[in-house]
Amino acid sequence: MTKVPGKGLVEGLGVTLKALTRRSVTQQYPDVEPELPPRSRGVIALLEENCTVCMLCARECPDWCIYIDSHKETLPAPEGGRARVRNVLDRFAIDFSLCMYCGICIEVCPFDALFWTPEFAYAEGDIGDLTHERDRLREWMWTVPEPPALDPGAEPAKEVTAAQKAQQPPPVQQARQAPARPARPSRSAGVAADRPEVDPPAGDSS
Amino acid sequence: MNIPPLAAGSAEPAPAHPLPFLPLPTAGAQGVGALTRAVPAPIKFVLNWGRRYSLWVFNFGLACCAIEFIATSMSRHDFIRLGVIPFAPGPRQADLMVVSGTVTDKMAPAVRRLYEQMPEPKYVISFGACSNCGGPYWDSYCVTKGVDQIVPVDVYVPGCPPRPEALLHGILTLQQKIARESLGDRYAAAGPRPIRSVPAAALQRPLLRADPVGEEPDDG
Repeated sequence: MTKVPGKGLVEGLGVTLKALTRRSVTQQYPDVEPELPPRSRGVIALLEENCTVCMLCARECPDWCIYIDSHKETLPAPEGGRARVRNVLDRFAIDFSLCMYCGICIEVCPFDALFWTPEFAYAEGDIGDLTHERDRLREWMWTVPEPPALDPGAEPAKEVTAAQKAQQPPPVQQARQAPARPARPSRSAGVAADRPEVDPPAGDSS
Repeated sequence: MNIPPLAAGSAEPAPAHPLPFLPLPTAGAQGVGALTRAVPAPIKFVLNWGRRYSLWVFNFGLACCAIEFIATSMSRHDFIRLGVIPFAPGPRQADLMVVSGTVTDKMAPAVRRLYEQMPEPKYVISFGACSNCGGPYWDSYCVTKGVDQIVPVDVYVPGCPPRPEALLHGILTLQQKIARESLGDRYAAAGPRPIRSVPAAALQRPLLRADPVGEEPDDG
C-alpha cells in the first residue's frame, strides 16, 4: 500500500471539522450550576429540632464520623405527676473528611432529623473545617430539595390519609367501613374465623 | 500511624541528618521566597495570577477517585477551562498533585518521593475521603490515615468519591488561595509545614531495598 502524502493531516482536519459541527458537551460549572439528579448525595443536613439524641446514627455509622454530646434535663411535673427526663443535644458534628456518604445515618434516623442535600461545594483548606458542627449542619437544611412528586395514580402517603380521615365527620367514616366488611369473609378461613370477634367492638367505637 | 521517615532515622547512626523534623523547603525554595518578597505588590499579583491559571496537574490516582479525576479532565467538565492542564509528563513538570484514592502504607513512600520531585512552588489537593483521612479504611492496618501525614496538603475535597464539580470547586479554592498567598510567607524560614525533610540520598535509593529503620521501630 502506497503512502499518500498528507493523508494523516487531512484525516485529522476531518475530525476537527466533524467536531466543529457538533454541540459542545462541556458544562460551565463555576458559571452555571450543574443540574444534579434528585436524591444526589452531596452533604448531610441536620434538622436538630427533630433530633432526640437516640444515638442511632452515631452507632450505625460505619466510619464513626458522627459526634454527639448530650446531657439530661429534668422537666418538673406541672401538677402531681412525676418529673420527666429528656435529652438535650449539646453537640452534633459530622466529619465530612471521613464520611463515606453511605446514608445509613439517614436511613436509621427514626425521627427524620437527617436529610441528604445535593450541595457538593465545600472543599476546605483546613481539614478541621470539614467537621461541620450543628449550626452548619442546620444551615444545610435550607438546601434540602423537596421530596419528588408521587407517580400519577399513586396512593397518597399514609399520614395524609390518616389526617384526612380524622377530619372527616363520623357518619362518613361509618358509611365507608360498611361496604368494606363484606369483603373480609372472602379471605382465608382462618383469618375470617378470627375477625368477627375482633371487628364488632371496633365498629361500635367508631 | 506515622509513616517511618524516608530519611535515615534515629536508630541508625545518621550524622548528616540528626533532626527528624526540618523545615520542608530546600535552598532553592528559599531563594524563590526571597525573590518574591522583594518585588512590589503589583508584580506579585501578576506572578500569582500567572501561577494560578497554569497549574500543570499530576494525577496520583490510587483508587476509584481517580476515575472522577479523569472524568473532570474530559470534555464534559474540562478543567482546562480553569487553567489546569492534565497529564503532565511527570512530577518534575507538574505544579499541582491531586492525590485521589487510598494511600496505603506501602504506596506512601512513592507518594512522598514523587512529591519531592515536583518543582517549587507545588500544591497538593487531597481528593476524596481516603486521602483526606483514611475514609472507610479508618481502622485498617495498612492504610495511611490521610495523605497529609506525608505531604502538606493545600485543599481537601470531601466526598466518597467527590463529584467532578467538587474537584472543580477544590481547584477554584486552591486558585483563590494562590491568589492571596505570598511565596515568601509560604516558605518562611520557620517552616509552618511540619513535614519531615528528606535528604537527597534517600530519594535516590532504589525503591525495593529493605529499609532497616522503617520496618520495625519498636524492635530496635
